Amino acid sequence: MAVYLAGRLGQALLVLFLAYTAASMLLMILPGDGVLARYANPALGLSGEQVEAIRQSYGADAPWYVQYWQSLSGFLTGDLGYSVNSGAAVSTLVASALPSTALLAVSGFAAAVVLAVAVAVLASYGKPRWLASAFDSAPSLFISVPVFWLGIVIIQVLSFQLGWVTMVSPGPLESLILPTLTLAIPLSAPLAQILIRAIAEVRAQPFVHVTRAKGAGEAWMLVHSVIRNAMLPALTIAGLLFGELVAGAVVTETVFGRAGIGALTAQAVANRDNPVLLAVVVIATVGFVLVNLLVDLLYPVVDPRLRHRGRVGAAARRRLGARAQASGTGPSRTGADRADQEEEIRA
Amino acid sequence: MPSHPHSPHALLRQAPLAGAAAERPRSAAHLPTRRALLGGGLSLGALLALAACTPDDTAPLSGGRPAPGGVLRYFEPQTWTTLYPPSAGFYPNGGIVNNITDRLLFQDPQTLELHPWIAEALPEANADATEFTFRLRTGVTHSDGTPLDAENVARNFDLYGRGDNARALPVSEQITNYAGSEVLDERTVVFRFDAPAPGFPQATATMNAGLVANSTLELDAEGFGPGSATRIVTSGPFTVAEEEVGTRLSVRVREDYDWAPPHLEHQGRAFLDGIDYLVNGEYSVRIGALVSGQADGVRGVEAPDEARVEEKGLRLYAQPTNGINNGLSFRSRHPLLADVTVRRALTHAIDRDRIVAKLFTDNYPKATGVLAQGAAGYVAAPRAWAFDPDRANALLDEAGWTERTESGHRTRDGEPLTLRVNIAHPQPRSREVMSLVQEDFARVGVHLTINEGDYAQQTIDSLELDRVQVYHSMVARADYDVLASQWSVANRDAFLNHDEETGEWGDERTQEILDRITGSASAEDRAAAAAELQEHFIDQALVVPLFEEPQVFGFRRRVRDFSTEPVGRPAFYSVWLAD
Repeated sequence: MAVYLAGRLGQALLVLFLAYTAASMLLMILPGDGVLARYANPALGLSGEQVEAIRQSYGADAPWYVQYWQSLSGFLTGDLGYSVNSGAAVSTLVASALPSTALLAVSGFAAAVVLAVAVAVLASYGKPRWLASAFDSAPSLFISVPVFWLGIVIIQVLSFQLGWVTMVSPGPLESLILPTLTLAIPLSAPLAQILIRAIAEVRAQPFVHVTRAKGAGEAWMLVHSVIRNAMLPALTIAGLLFGELVAGAVVTETVFGRAGIGALTAQAVANRDNPVLLAVVVIATVGFVLVNLLVDLLYPVVDPRLRHRGRVGAAARRRLGARAQASGTGPSRTGADRADQEEEIRA
Repeated sequence: MPSHPHSPHALLRQAPLAGAAAERPRSAAHLPTRRALLGGGLSLGALLALAACTPDDTAPLSGGRPAPGGVLRYFEPQTWTTLYPPSAGFYPNGGIVNNITDRLLFQDPQTLELHPWIAEALPEANADATEFTFRLRTGVTHSDGTPLDAENVARNFDLYGRGDNARALPVSEQITNYAGSEVLDERTVVFRFDAPAPGFPQATATMNAGLVANSTLELDAEGFGPGSATRIVTSGPFTVAEEEVGTRLSVRVREDYDWAPPHLEHQGRAFLDGIDYLVNGEYSVRIGALVSGQADGVRGVEAPDEARVEEKGLRLYAQPTNGINNGLSFRSRHPLLADVTVRRALTHAIDRDRIVAKLFTDNYPKATGVLAQGAAGYVAAPRAWAFDPDRANALLDEAGWTERTESGHRTRDGEPLTLRVNIAHPQPRSREVMSLVQEDFARVGVHLTINEGDYAQQTIDSLELDRVQVYHSMVARADYDVLASQWSVANRDAFLNHDEETGEWGDERTQEILDRITGSASAEDRAAAAAELQEHFIDQALVVPLFEEPQVFGFRRRVRDFSTEPVGRPAFYSVWLAD
């Protein structure tokens, strides 16, 4: 276990470094920089010479490898630099933006899980038939709705027309309701889709028939047999949805006028604010790596078969890998991992 | 359609670990598309907000007496970037700085005359306008209790007049040739200049010369930026009370404020208890908040929505910005525009009536001069820039652009007549205005491309003559110096008039006249030079003004006595809320 964790950690650091370098390079290829974008802005009316003097004081005229090295060594020592656009320390901007986004992400994700389970259950067990099929097609609808459009419609209807929630200086809880809803709907779609399919698959398996024959009701079976077995693929997708959360936050925070990593990103992109963008890349990478590590560690907790070191465990792991591959995703099973499993089977 | 970042396929194709790295640049690259889509959703949202369902504002329009009380909830489309006064030209910055700072002089927004404010009287100037002596009123304090005295004023202008690159604080574009200050006594300060600075008294009346406390003058760019707004100490009617970075800035009334411009009827503390500046980048949300009564006011009601906002019973204020008209500058240093005949042809090709009628309302009158009618030095030019495509065609033929490509664009010796124009994002409907100009140019065989990209991209591209040859912009400042702000090589340099490496000029005479506007001591000489420049622009077909650009505000009916300073930034000092 310790070896596994260390390996994953090393992998994570490598990913971080590569992501950082790739982002730095891409940003440096872009013509113009944040200093130019800010100080050559016609609203300031500075002359070319004045702008050049300020660029020098920022070091924006240094060659790319010098800038890359400076910012990299800064990151390694924990100094994220200063926002070119506002002059504020990037660490301050991030520290003030992160809690709000984390809160939104957690509440959005929790709401998405609730929504997905509700949709999946109604689509699988709903009566009459037409209601079930309506819920069955809900995920397609949810994922087709653009987030910004959804946000605007939700605001217009629930806040401006019905007046249930205020958009202007709302309380901390009140301000979370509409963005959570906006984020949860598209997020729940892939989750619900996977759950519906998994439930159908599990229900077709012999042990379910056996359980039913023993006299279990649908509700009991749903909780005790079906959902638990259908959880695994949903967990895989949940890890991947983290990326979706970050992208969703950009739009949601802009529409709702919330401060957060998403709003910070949108602004930084608009202003060519490279130090801020690099910090966001690193944060997103760290988050993504951590969430996926967490998901991998959770598999054995959710599925007891995976804890089994013998034949049962190997078969379960193989199924998990196969399903993940079929959907083009899946936990990061390396070839070596799989070879281990094969060996276990032979043993 | 490119794969949307939210489509399941886009999601599933990414390997888990590579996904994180790909995520950032992906969203960055997708922003324009997203924005374009957002445009569609946005107008739909605004439509929803303005459609039936929400009740009209039926509060009385007049009556009641000004009384203190209430916090105004006011929406801005963008978050402010700095409270450093010389950078207050950016609308969101100016809307705050104008209400938290006092200035030496007060400029009447209607007459544009200067009046005393913190200075007890207009300054005494020497004959060649290189020395100005201000005598200050007494008893004025900043909100931290420190006095606003001669020494403090001198320190303010020492920073604004010189800037400080080490702290990334730029010099004020309105103060040029600043030599230094001298404090004669507690109430008297002298400012000296290396060259005549006749525009200086007016410059002291603008929000770009808002006075701040000594502790604030020590701050660097970060200290003036978001996250440290509460460190800004000023003497104005409102002071910064609370900040939520990126979403809200609250200013609260200064109870002991007693140094309003004597020119104003209202004296003493402001009526409002405070103002909450709220930020939301989404237009439909701002308008919806106003229409539903959740907000009291918004800046930037778009022209197509004006009628519907008024139908809802809300008040619209279209405030003139009294500067250079929204228009095009032809960069004559570029070979294609070096020929005055070509430039004349282009001015006759543009149908300005169609632009105003199709895209705007009566609040955006067609330009009748290079400057707006309310601007200092306005000269009417009723016959200039007449729409005459036949004449334009004849002129282009005359200039030798007689051959045509298959698509109908003119060429000369195989070279096509292709120009590129920027999109002025801060200006209303710039993209749409430029598409109409594009059609007008196409009609006479000139190919105009529109330089796509966001705000920063436009700023960067506009600095290159190879990228942008026709420059769309406007500037507001209620002084003759606004001409220099827009076209002088020492300021915005809209023509990119001078190549420092080759020493080549686009139109050197423009700069020569501009130097006389900024450097002449007497008001008559400056007025004469300003008139001469406008004539020169018409004669040489260097500038095509399109329309007078207002700032359009929407307010609930209970908000009374709203006004703006001379260039259309909100002034909330005398505003009160009827119950």
